[in-house]
Amino acid sequence: MEQEFALTSEVRNDCLIISTSGYVNNRGGESIAREFDRHFAQGVRQVIINLEKSRVVNSIGMSFLIEIIERLEETGGKLVFTNLDPGVEKMLSIMGLFNYAGKEKSVDDALKALSS
Amino acid sequence: MINRLLIDRLSLHIDSLQEGFELLSRATNLKELGRHFFHFLRGNLTTSEISIWYKPADGHPWELLYGKQVHPEDYLTDVVKTFELKSFGGRHPRVAVVQPLADGSALGVVLGKRLGGAAYSTLDKFALQIFLQLFATAYQSHLHLRKQKELVFSLNHRLVQLNSLIDTGIELTALKKDVSPAALALERAAAATNASRGKFTKKINGKVTESLVFPEGAVFRPPKDKGYHIKSRFTFRGATYEFNLYLKESRSGTVPFEETDQLLLGALARQVRAVVENQFYHEQELAQQRIERELAVAASIQQRILPAALPVIEGYDLFGINIPTKMVGGDYYDAVPLENGSFLLVVADVAGKGIPAALLVSSFQAYLSAYASTICSLTDLAHKLNRSIFEASTAERYITAVVGIFDPATARLETINAGHNPPYLLRRDGSVQQLTAGGIAFGMLDMDFPYETDCVTLEPGERVLFYTDGITEAMDGHGNLYDSAGTLADIMRRNTPASAEQFVRDLVADVVAFTASAPQSDDITALYLFRK
Repeated sequence: MEQEFALTSEVRNDCLIISTSGYVNNRGGESIAREFDRHFAQGVRQVIINLEKSRVVNSIGMSFLIEIIERLEETGGKLVFTNLDPGVEKMLSIMGLFNYAGKEKSVDDALKALSS
Repeated sequence: MINRLLIDRLSLHIDSLQEGFELLSRATNLKELGRHFFHFLRGNLTTSEISIWYKPADGHPWELLYGKQVHPEDYLTDVVKTFELKSFGGRHPRVAVVQPLADGSALGVVLGKRLGGAAYSTLDKFALQIFLQLFATAYQSHLHLRKQKELVFSLNHRLVQLNSLIDTGIELTALKKDVSPAALALERAAAATNASRGKFTKKINGKVTESLVFPEGAVFRPPKDKGYHIKSRFTFRGATYEFNLYLKESRSGTVPFEETDQLLLGALARQVRAVVENQFYHEQELAQQRIERELAVAASIQQRILPAALPVIEGYDLFGINIPTKMVGGDYYDAVPLENGSFLLVVADVAGKGIPAALLVSSFQAYLSAYASTICSLTDLAHKLNRSIFEASTAERYITAVVGIFDPATARLETINAGHNPPYLLRRDGSVQQLTAGGIAFGMLDMDFPYETDCVTLEPGERVLFYTDGITEAMDGHGNLYDSAGTLADIMRRNTPASAEQFVRDLVADVVAFTASAPQSDDITALYLFRK
């Protein structure tokens, strides 16, 4: 059973990596957006969201992810999702997120993709 | 000359209006719209002291969209009532204006000192009014765009819901045994309806036997407000399965659930019901297959220990039969020749059915064969059989039997009835008596309870019938027992054919006719001996 939301973050090669666990809902989405805002204000424009430990995302959580994509788009930034559960990947795909954001198997793959 | 200057300036403003609208239209959000408007005003009004404010609705405070921080109340409070341009004099003259917007919100603009300190002319103020209209139009376009985005988002969300319903159905049918279908459905239902919390319970006789909370470990108090909680429930084989969802989320807090959410939850609950039902029937099928395999083995064991043919006894006619049911029982009969020319006659019935019963009959037959060669007395044999069966079987398994030693030379028949249906003896005078003397069933208790014997001598024409309860308790379609009114004794009296086989076949035919279309409930076994 999916757990309550939690996240960790780090900056590697000027890229913000947010790793989540648990249900990405309103609370989870807000937490991700807040973490993003904090680093965005400091000039970070490349973001990786690692959803390895999040198998359940609702559409409210999704709306926060869309906002992050929009803000990065405005500033020429880029977002990449990694370690997606097939169900979550399908949901992001239906919502059209991969038209504006990337997806990679792992954080390392995403870092490579962003640096190339 | 002044007119010419005015026309030039107006012409310049008109050109920049076109560019301004394009710039404002590119904004993807309100903040960006404010920022673009700031740059537009700065270019047209030659001032960098600009504050762009936004008030979402009456009663809300002003929010700075972009530009210099001032106290909006100082400049915009009065203007908001009239939506007119207002000039503030003093050393640092300012101009403030409020523009009402399409959705009831308002834009506030405060302009400060211009480059070179020039005052705002009427023309500037006039141009500003036009710029504000431009902003209002761009804002409306922004609202449309936002609405369009929301609509697309909402449509995609419906697609996700539909997809989740289909995928969950597929996943539930292919679920591994260690994954709870209820857990998967609860997660999917919560996500698809934007529920903040979920709970599943399975109750049997009002007692909770399974409980799940989503997200796992979440502690919450279910809301009491109507609409903030939906549930779906079904019952299958005495167990009640209930799915609950609480607190539908939105970006502005929790909102009541919609009708679609209830439909979705109901559909997912029905999918779980289908899985639970399928699992049950699948397990039943497997159990049935297992039973049938066991029965086949049991039937083969039983058939192997039953005699292929009974010995021929000079001056007598002996015939035995065993008709097993589909649910193999533990009936057994035999006539074993003894070294002294006597015969050990036996009819037995093991409590229970299937392989365990067949194995116990097999043991019984083995003990009987082993002890037959060293019989001192029938009671001694009964005690030995009782002890051996007691040691070889579990508490609920025992054997009822009638064992007898028949000496053809003297026509003497000695019997022990170990908790079995008493054999019938037909005398020459037409009377029927039962051989009841004996003791407890074999293997029931190992406490040396005594066994008593019946001892009779068969006169010419006298007959004896050993049988099992498959005959006496054969049942018709109304639940009536074959021997409830003494049918068997009557048949003994009435039917005295010339061969033992004929009697047994007539008896079986009568039992079959009595039970008619009702299925045979137990093995039918009989051993019939008569003195010619």
